[in-house]
Amino acid sequence: MATTLLILHGLVAVALIGAITHQALATCAPPNAKPNSFFGRFRAIPAAGFANAIVLLYLTSWLLGAVVYLYFKVDIQPTLERDRHWHAMGFLDLKEDFVVIGLGVLPAYWFCWRGTDNSQHHHLRAALTILLAFIVWWSFIVGHVMNDIRGFGS
Amino acid sequence: MIPASAVRRFTFAFGAAFALFYVVARLRGLALFTVYPAQSIVLLGMHRSRDFADPVLDFLAPEMYWYGWTASAAVCALVIGLIAGLLPDRLNWFWAWCVWIIPPMAMAACIYLTIPWFRL
Repeated sequence: MATTLLILHGLVAVALIGAITHQALATCAPPNAKPNSFFGRFRAIPAAGFANAIVLLYLTSWLLGAVVYLYFKVDIQPTLERDRHWHAMGFLDLKEDFVVIGLGVLPAYWFCWRGTDNSQHHHLRAALTILLAFIVWWSFIVGHVMNDIRGFGS
Repeated sequence: MIPASAVRRFTFAFGAAFALFYVVARLRGLALFTVYPAQSIVLLGMHRSRDFADPVLDFLAPEMYWYGWTASAAVCALVIGLIAGLLPDRLNWFWAWCVWIIPPMAMAACIYLTIPWFRL
């Protein structure tokens, strides 16, 4: 059960990281990129269309992570503490903190992207998108390292 | 139909207050409930295994506060968000400023609170 949930969590996270990276670059990258370049095509997506999917993926990923965390606490954490992986525990603590802060920001992020008036809240929208992108990237990398910790760096 | 400006104030205030109260809950240990995953028990409020059992047996009943901190922050942020929704439009700039500034500051505070792990 835990393995299935963890794989699902990882798959949702992959979809989320792709969507948020597209949107963050489309929001922040300079619009004068060559239209036929890779970067030009990467940022030329309708960023607003990603917002609902990102909210849904973030919530799903958070929910799956919250369930998997119960198994982690009982089955994995004692082993990590025994093996003195204190830094990994610290990074995971930061992941859970950042993810929750991102969860709180999600309604404001959704509001900034809704509607057709793209000129309103432009800076706030960009700031919240970058914040969420950072949180998603951080969580993805830390989660990946934790998943592979018995082999990582040993 | 709720006006868009009220929804804006609610969402912005909620995001800022959530980050702020999460850090306060984490700092002061204000968990709405404590989860004991090994026993599948949820207790209201903040409880420590060592308060009930010998500290050396702590590993048998690991407690989890993260869910309780999140719930505490959500409840407080909901109240602040609803209050903000009732306030006048001229305060919109304030809530936008808050949701811009407070979450990154809360993340920095969380980094500070995590430092002990890196000193072990």
